[in-house]
Amino acid sequence: MATYADLELVKYLCCCKKKFSVCRLYLCKYCLQLRCTDCTQHEVDTPYCPHCLENMPSGEAKLKKNRCSNCFDCPVCGHTLVTRSTSHTSPSPDDPTKTIAKKMYYMACGFCRWTTRDVGLPDQSVASGSWPILQNPHEQRISSLLENYKIMAQIEKAEHERKKYVSRRSHLYRQDKYGGSAAGLRRKGMSTFSSMSSTESKVPGELEPSVTVDSFEPLPNEYFTEPAALVKTTKLAHRHSVPEFQPTEISKLHPIHKHLLMRKSLRCKECEHNVSKADFNPSSIKFKIQLTAQHHVPEIRILTPSTFTMNKETIVTLTLSNPSVFGMTVSLHPIEDESDTDYCSAKVELPKKELLLAGRDEPSMQMYDDSSQADEFKDDPKVIVFRKGNKIGFVVKVTPVVNEGDVKIQFMMKHEFRNTTAAALQSESKEPEIVWLEHKVYMNLGPIAKKDPNVSQA
Amino acid sequence: MELQDEFYNTSQYIETASGNKVSRQSVLCGSQNIVINGKTIVMTGCVIRGDLANVRIGRHCIISKNAVIRPAFKRFSKGVAFFPLHIGDHVLIEEDSIVNAAQVGSFVHIGKNCVIGRRSVLKDCCAIADNTILPPETVVPPFTLCTGSPGKITSELPDCTQDLMTDITVNYYHHFRPHGKGK
Repeated sequence: MATYADLELVKYLCCCKKKFSVCRLYLCKYCLQLRCTDCTQHEVDTPYCPHCLENMPSGEAKLKKNRCSNCFDCPVCGHTLVTRSTSHTSPSPDDPTKTIAKKMYYMACGFCRWTTRDVGLPDQSVASGSWPILQNPHEQRISSLLENYKIMAQIEKAEHERKKYVSRRSHLYRQDKYGGSAAGLRRKGMSTFSSMSSTESKVPGELEPSVTVDSFEPLPNEYFTEPAALVKTTKLAHRHSVPEFQPTEISKLHPIHKHLLMRKSLRCKECEHNVSKADFNPSSIKFKIQLTAQHHVPEIRILTPSTFTMNKETIVTLTLSNPSVFGMTVSLHPIEDESDTDYCSAKVELPKKELLLAGRDEPSMQMYDDSSQADEFKDDPKVIVFRKGNKIGFVVKVTPVVNEGDVKIQFMMKHEFRNTTAAALQSESKEPEIVWLEHKVYMNLGPIAKKDPNVSQA
Repeated sequence: MELQDEFYNTSQYIETASGNKVSRQSVLCGSQNIVINGKTIVMTGCVIRGDLANVRIGRHCIISKNAVIRPAFKRFSKGVAFFPLHIGDHVLIEEDSIVNAAQVGSFVHIGKNCVIGRRSVLKDCCAIADNTILPPETVVPPFTLCTGSPGKITSELPDCTQDLMTDITVNYYHHFRPHGKGK
């Protein structure tokens, strides 16, 4: 639904002061704070190929420059190439009068019809794995530079003593840019000190410095005299997709190894607990750890769009759904000292009483259940419009104070949360501790109705 | 925003015992080869080509107006073979899209005016944006959004896509009401 219904209308404030819809947020159970993807630490779990869905250890992926060795992209349109087979007849080596049929393979793009034959690549006798790899002419220089950077990074790391002992982790940090950080080294079984002693002998500076380019060769005259062969020239996107070669002619395009995607896990930056950890298998949609806010924080949505006029009170029905299996009490409060003026385009009157929500009952959710639970909860019909399972509809009164633009409101939502973490359970005689969490909610209720010029004149 | 009610004419739709709502104006070719598991909506103008190969559609799917579901074929040296098409649960296919896939996982959202190329594989929890053309034999991995022509992976979907898609398909079914009934 992230792509279907408009979820961006209701946003919650993350602890890093950014606004996100609830499906993009995580609730760290240990800090009891909302976290977004920007304020969590991203870790690479498993790189995988998006075409063959085969996963690869991160070390191997690094060696292969984060590209799949079997899948190729079309250099023209970027779609994945498919292997096609043809039979090729050639004279038999034993008896020149007979011919033998041999299966040959080439690659073709199903979208733009580009084939490896277009650029004169010979057909291969095996289906995969034998395509020639172009050698980067600057490979030696790049590897010597990289080597140098690694040594530099090690020296820098050794100079700054590690502030605290970081527990051994098997995953790869994204920050580990030259592959020489302390965590990376420990993984290789080297201590920081032993590596330092070995690097002391290698003083950086052996490296040949790059040469400054003072002048360029002038453009050859053909560029001005010959008509431009646009059909044969590559586009900028083609050149950017192969930065090491940057072919200028269509005939020099070569299949590109497919980029890997990755499964990542997210970790709270403060307490270092995982908030999201996907399953190892790239085609699985299960999670080992998933603390998405959608499962813990009640979700507010707008029931129906309403029309607004300036300084006129409008009743807006909002829905509130309880994601947990237990009942929940929610209360809404105005935000007094709000610095964000963007969400102050209307005055809002919130329900004063606490809102009681029934727990989520998964099996009955998919049933047609119109039975009213209003009697059970003794609802005030002026506030609670309907009650259905774990969801209620409640009214707020909104008075826009601007005469154009969107009607935006904000308020504070307080809700109960059953803290089931091990630490909380130990202290409270195995009974989950109930804590109150507060979140700032920002809503865009829709535009103010355009005044009909004929009406205003009359 | 919550989903709004959508009304249909009772005379235009057939409701089966398992809760499927199938428009009388849809074209189901080879209906003995089509299995729809329940609570699925097949709207007006849809074409499901069960005559080519088996088509299996899971629970709580929505196939919007004028969508075409047809099993993919592959040309072999000895003629053409059609592949059975499996669509998972909680799949939303929007208007005017053509699905030629070999497999569509669960919790998949296909936008309006899309073409899903021959023998494509859409894994669980992926989405295809409106007006996307997926070339033949594309694989869309989980938690990715494909856009453009040719369709390319452009962004990631939230981790709770499964819950979001379940919510939308179940709610859509509840909001798809016959005229004159309902509150």
